[in-house]
Amino acid sequence: MWDIIVNATPQLVVAGLKYTIPISIVSFLLGLILALITALIRLSSKKGLFRILKAIFRFYVWLFRSTPLLVQLFIVYFGLPYLKIAVIAPEGIKLTPLVAGIITFSLNTGAYCSETIRASILSIPKGQWEAAFSIGMTRSQALSRIVLPQAVRVSLPPLANSFIGLVKDTSLAASITIVEMFEVSQQIAAENYQPLVMYCLVAALYAIACSLLSWLQGYLEKVTSRYVTNAD
Amino acid sequence: MLKLEKLNKSFGEHHALVDITTTFPEHQTTVILGPSGSGKSTLLRSLNLLERPESGRYFFDDDVFDFAKGISVKDTLNIRKRTEMVFQGYNLFPHLTVLKNIMEGPIQVLRQPKTKVEKDAHALLAKVGLADKADVYPNQLSGGQAQRVAIARSLAMQPKYILLDEPTSALDPELELEVLKVLKQISTEKRSMIIVTHNMAFAREVADKIIFIEDGHILFDGSNERFFKTDNKRIADFISAMTFANI
Repeated sequence: MWDIIVNATPQLVVAGLKYTIPISIVSFLLGLILALITALIRLSSKKGLFRILKAIFRFYVWLFRSTPLLVQLFIVYFGLPYLKIAVIAPEGIKLTPLVAGIITFSLNTGAYCSETIRASILSIPKGQWEAAFSIGMTRSQALSRIVLPQAVRVSLPPLANSFIGLVKDTSLAASITIVEMFEVSQQIAAENYQPLVMYCLVAALYAIACSLLSWLQGYLEKVTSRYVTNAD
Repeated sequence: MLKLEKLNKSFGEHHALVDITTTFPEHQTTVILGPSGSGKSTLLRSLNLLERPESGRYFFDDDVFDFAKGISVKDTLNIRKRTEMVFQGYNLFPHLTVLKNIMEGPIQVLRQPKTKVEKDAHALLAKVGLADKADVYPNQLSGGQAQRVAIARSLAMQPKYILLDEPTSALDPELELEVLKVLKQISTEKRSMIIVTHNMAFAREVADKIIFIEDGHILFDGSNERFFKTDNKRIADFISAMTFANI
């Protein structure tokens, strides 16, 4: 068994470094940006045309939270080539597996994280906005200088949840032909007929990656919570 | 000079302020008194546009604003720069140190140079007796200290008017005294202050002018001396209920 592990681990780690980790990080960062935009638009009290924009983003969150991630991946990668739009994409929208994967993961995690960010902004007491307004700040100053820095602390644990979830969900990318860590473990298992060892091995590698993230979460929580715990 | 003319504000069915017309003289301390739910805080918050009255005119020095027409973002910011609110619950920024709390407005809003702002902030902290607390976070302060920092934060903006919304209601008597001393000191400097309070003794001590509100109406608007000698039965009852003399 040991030589199976010794032989397979380097290949799995390479696949992890090449695909699993970059896909996770890029998708999560794009997802966070999308989530922040979505949360801010949905929290805005602006009227008029803005209400249409709010409805669009509400629909987006609903859509990606109400359908399975695997189905979303299939639609984007296998389905979109058949979506023929005149002028823009007359031949259908053909994406490489990597691009399709990153787009889908970003949209999916963005939908979940937008709810986290929205809730964390709402959790900051109204008095903080009022104190910021009272010293003459604009809405965006109050948001960026006073409310968001406090919301970050609140949103860290659930955002870390989403990130850890995303790392594991990237294993679904195997189904759209991306040769990430899980796909490699499947290929090796098909050759050496050792599915138990191979899948336990890949599970352990995911667990190691996620444990590192949990540790990072703990560190970030400590840094961002400096002002709530007594220094002495 | 601040002046209100026929100000009206409702929350749903509840008419919180009805045709309020009054003035808040410059370089004087105006105290707003009245029972809970009378509209005192709403009146004070309207001056800083944290509440938006539906109608009425607001005179600020040479500017006139009409609530019925709405007040633009630019005018709102302009009014808020000239008025500072001190809240009952302090509302210090918990993620910033005491010193940064005070510096935030002058740097971000007034765009003053950092070295000057920092020097001023230290001076203000000394003024409210908290020179040694510059680098701690607000959660390490007592209520009285937090409120004194909030007062320093408002002074840092050099506002024309300082608005105080029940600044000592959340404090026990000992801590309240710390804050009242600071406010008394500020009032003797002839700054323009408007204070909502339940503390009669303090009102009597610092007020140049007193406004008494009940159910959104002004029942009394005049000098400190006249208020405490009034023969209006309702107000006399209120004063005696708020002081222990007649127990």
